[in-house]
Amino acid sequence: MATTNAPPAGTKPPAGTKNAGRPPARARVRTGQSRRRRNAITAWLFALPFVLIFGVFMLGPLLSSFLMSFTDFTSRDIENPFAVGFVGLEQYAALFRNPQFLHSVLNTAYFVVVGIPLTTILALALAVALNNGISRFRTAFRVGFYTPVVTSIVAVAVVWRFILQPDGLLNVILGWVGIAGPDWLNSTTWSMPALIMMAVWRNLGTLMIIFLAGLQAVPGDILEAAEVDGANAWQRFMKITLPMLRPTLLLGTVLLSVGFLQFFEEPFVMTKGGPLDSTLSVSYFTYNQFGFGKYGLASAASYVLFVAIALLSLLQFRALRSKD
Amino acid sequence: MIHPNAKKAAAVGLATALLLTGCGRDSAGSPAASSAKPIASGPASGTITLWAQGSEGEALPALLKEFEAENPGVKVNVTAIPWDAALSKYQTAIAGGTTPDVAQMGTTWMGDFASSFDATPQEIDASDFFPGSVKSTEVEGTTYGVPWYVDTRVVYYRSDLAEKAGITKAPETWDDFKALAKGLQEKAGAKYGVQLPAGVAGSYLDTLPFQWSNGAKLMNDDGTKWTLDTPEAAEALKYYSSFFADGLASKAVSTGTTAEASFVDGSAPMMISGPWHVGLLNKAGGEGFEDKYKVAPMPKETTSTSFVGGSNMVVFKKSENRDASWKLLQWLSKPEVQLKWYKATGDLPSQQSAWKDQSLASDSKLSVFGDQLKNTNNPPAVSTWTQVAAAADSEIEQIVKAGKDPAEALKSLQQAADSIGTGK
Amino acid sequence: MTIPDTSPLDAAAPAATTPGTEAAAVVRGTAPAGTNTTGGSPQGSNARRRSGRRAPARRTLTYAVLVVGVSATLLPFVWMFLGAFKTQGELLRRPITWWPEQPTLENFSSWFNELQIGTFFLNSVVVAVFTVLGNLLFCSMVGYALAKMDFPGKRFLFLLVMVMLMVPGVVTFVPLFVMVSKLGLVSTYPALILPFLAAPMGVFLMRQFIMGIPDSLIEAARIDGAGELRTFLRIVMPLCGPPLATLGILTFLGSWNNFLWPLVVAQSEEMYTLPVALSLYSTGQNATDYGLLLAGSVLIITPIILLFVALQRYFIQGVAATGIK
Repeated sequence: MATTNAPPAGTKPPAGTKNAGRPPARARVRTGQSRRRRNAITAWLFALPFVLIFGVFMLGPLLSSFLMSFTDFTSRDIENPFAVGFVGLEQYAALFRNPQFLHSVLNTAYFVVVGIPLTTILALALAVALNNGISRFRTAFRVGFYTPVVTSIVAVAVVWRFILQPDGLLNVILGWVGIAGPDWLNSTTWSMPALIMMAVWRNLGTLMIIFLAGLQAVPGDILEAAEVDGANAWQRFMKITLPMLRPTLLLGTVLLSVGFLQFFEEPFVMTKGGPLDSTLSVSYFTYNQFGFGKYGLASAASYVLFVAIALLSLLQFRALRSKD
Repeated sequence: MIHPNAKKAAAVGLATALLLTGCGRDSAGSPAASSAKPIASGPASGTITLWAQGSEGEALPALLKEFEAENPGVKVNVTAIPWDAALSKYQTAIAGGTTPDVAQMGTTWMGDFASSFDATPQEIDASDFFPGSVKSTEVEGTTYGVPWYVDTRVVYYRSDLAEKAGITKAPETWDDFKALAKGLQEKAGAKYGVQLPAGVAGSYLDTLPFQWSNGAKLMNDDGTKWTLDTPEAAEALKYYSSFFADGLASKAVSTGTTAEASFVDGSAPMMISGPWHVGLLNKAGGEGFEDKYKVAPMPKETTSTSFVGGSNMVVFKKSENRDASWKLLQWLSKPEVQLKWYKATGDLPSQQSAWKDQSLASDSKLSVFGDQLKNTNNPPAVSTWTQVAAAADSEIEQIVKAGKDPAEALKSLQQAADSIGTGK
Repeated sequence: MTIPDTSPLDAAAPAATTPGTEAAAVVRGTAPAGTNTTGGSPQGSNARRRSGRRAPARRTLTYAVLVVGVSATLLPFVWMFLGAFKTQGELLRRPITWWPEQPTLENFSSWFNELQIGTFFLNSVVVAVFTVLGNLLFCSMVGYALAKMDFPGKRFLFLLVMVMLMVPGVVTFVPLFVMVSKLGLVSTYPALILPFLAAPMGVFLMRQFIMGIPDSLIEAARIDGAGELRTFLRIVMPLCGPPLATLGILTFLGSWNNFLWPLVVAQSEEMYTLPVALSLYSTGQNATDYGLLLAGSVLIITPIILLFVALQRYFIQGVAATGIK
């Protein structure tokens, strides 16, 4: 928890305890059936508006799409949805026989494996620099780096296309240092790096804010003490800051994975999945299948993606969970 | 780690759903093509909702005021839809049963949505439309809607630079076309002799004029089977890809606005495009540029057949004001109305008689489009066309960028198309 | 060098909880985090003291790197802004120009004069405001129930929320539209608002924060005879300022930039929101009006950047206060 007045180290209240001495014990004894039921009803009443909206607008469509993934549903069955054939796992099997889908899986993996660490490391470096590398203009930097996050992709796509052209801004700048830049969006080698660049630009701000918040929770006095003990900045960062940031890193990377695995907007506005399908992501493939009216196949592809997202999140929980 | 209650709930939900869906597909085929009902006589009345894309949607209300004046009992509500998401919009509207009465349809979308359209009644006179456009309204033997405005692809080239290269007449044959590209590149300082699509979405469509001009057909005569890997098609694609192999065309897709820019600055002074490019080029080139370039019909091999595009107007089956909707389509098909529309938007009339008007006939560039429109073709209007085209685009990309042999590429395309089917 | 075992890290699962020192600070009437006027971190004083001892060369380098980085980040916006004042001809020319040769206001004036930008703006605002308000209320209610109450089905409900967080958005699109049209809501404000009123992300955020509020506070209120609703309104909500700010901003952003759904749901132009209008008027079948697109982008982005600049401090506090320990 970030707070300005963290008590000095060693006097912290043990985590997870309730402030002692407030509730008289008597009150907690009165737990009868009726009371429990009343509590349950109250709780459900609190959840009711959410549950209603959630049920109608999310769960309903979710269930129907889930069922669709086991049928041969196409756009022509819309008028009469209950007349479709049940095909079991055939749609899933068809997916994994589909070379284009497999290609999109590889592309998405490429994007995630390069994009997530890159964004995380850059955002962390940025957060550390803003947190204790400088003392002025913090707000300006923070707003500056966060700006790409708040803008709509439709608006920035045009500008990025101009930047990435063979004679565009990026290659002009590369030319200053003697590098002949590639034709970014038309090269199977460079199209994905170009989109990763754009995605990092768009997502850096979010992670930076999260990490900044996490850094504020690292008690300064521990760092001070370590400095007095002769630990240099790098050691302090590795030994104190990073371990304390673990939950923050976890939250950040999980959020990023959920977003990055659904990689869609950048190729949609920049390359249409090309050249040679080199930027076709699983989400984009799914979108195309919906477009072709192959709802069954598209739903199946979505659930494959969902499983991937859930797995990656779990994996990160395992890897970054505190070991205490 | 799922709560037992959750398991129970999920099981119940699944069971219910399976009960609901447990009926299986009917073996009976789709209903036979409906024989179109006649249109009721008398003036149109009631409310008509109409969706049109982009600038058409913005300009239509002004034109339709006249229709409302002629039919005092009618009110047309126009909604403009962004081009780049129109397909999604129609798909979801059909899925949700919220279609309008009348809509503008891209000619290549007809096959996708035909099952939701109302068949064209007898009273619609199609005799004066460009034949290629009429073909685009036919899906599996039934006609839906009417051709509304047309466009077609022709050759744009910088005549001033061609003169520099010593070429003074328009390219007529495939050989001329190639010679012009070579000349522009070698003698007129062009980096590339011609701009050709290298595998972006829609590039297969752009190769079709070459294929058709060489006598290729995409389907057998009764439309039951794809015939994509014919020798004629392979020969045309070989010709097409030779431009890339010889370095006459750039393998890079033109992104953003490079197409106009490189045409104007002379770095790639020839391309194949539709009528909309006239305005764009004049804007990009500035004062006096319109005299520096010319247009010519598609180069000829056995024929000079181009692609006909544009938009049709259709009436949806679910329309609650069918008669008035068809009356509106009749009105929009009148040559004099189409001319007014052309003057308001630059959309070219689909009625041949409208082209006799001076504004079109005396324009050196537009008259070329008029001539070309008499000899056009369009891709088969079947519901799987979008899918086949998408697969074909990536094959074109393979040919151009990865040097795949055209015959090989067509073979794999044929396989892909066979597995996609014709939607029947 | 060992880490003291009093570290506030006891994250064991996504539902990591620690005592709400933040909330406690608020309760004790002390200044919450990050309210120093420079907008710096609460460690500002420490950081400043430390950096004072640091080699100035390193600090200069840090500044230099940050300035280069932030310039690169903002460059596309600069170009967008300048491009909005260029003519179509200039935008089509190569090589690209930076400063408009003949600056023109034409792109903006066509937005204001010919197009009903007022209507689109109003639609965007109405949808965003209601979406935000609904989310703030419903997500905190359900977050409270999930964090501080015991009821059958609680774990299942939370599991559902987590599942929804991870389901790809594209999958429910068509079924959702069919649902909305069956309810007869097409082309209404409810259709634009309702499906987004209960964001799983919001529930997650609120639950995380409310878990950090000391039970003792809530117990005390319950013992004093306050009902759950009163406890929620009087005790819990007043403490939830920071996460509500964060949730509010994130929801607003999502709603403001949403494109495909409003397009599909609106059956007439009166119901279009800004991004739909932007796409409609600037991209044609075969050509894009770049000037109009850039000017429209500037118009869409500006309010939201201003909003962010005004609220960014609360936003960062909110992120800091929500389950990040």
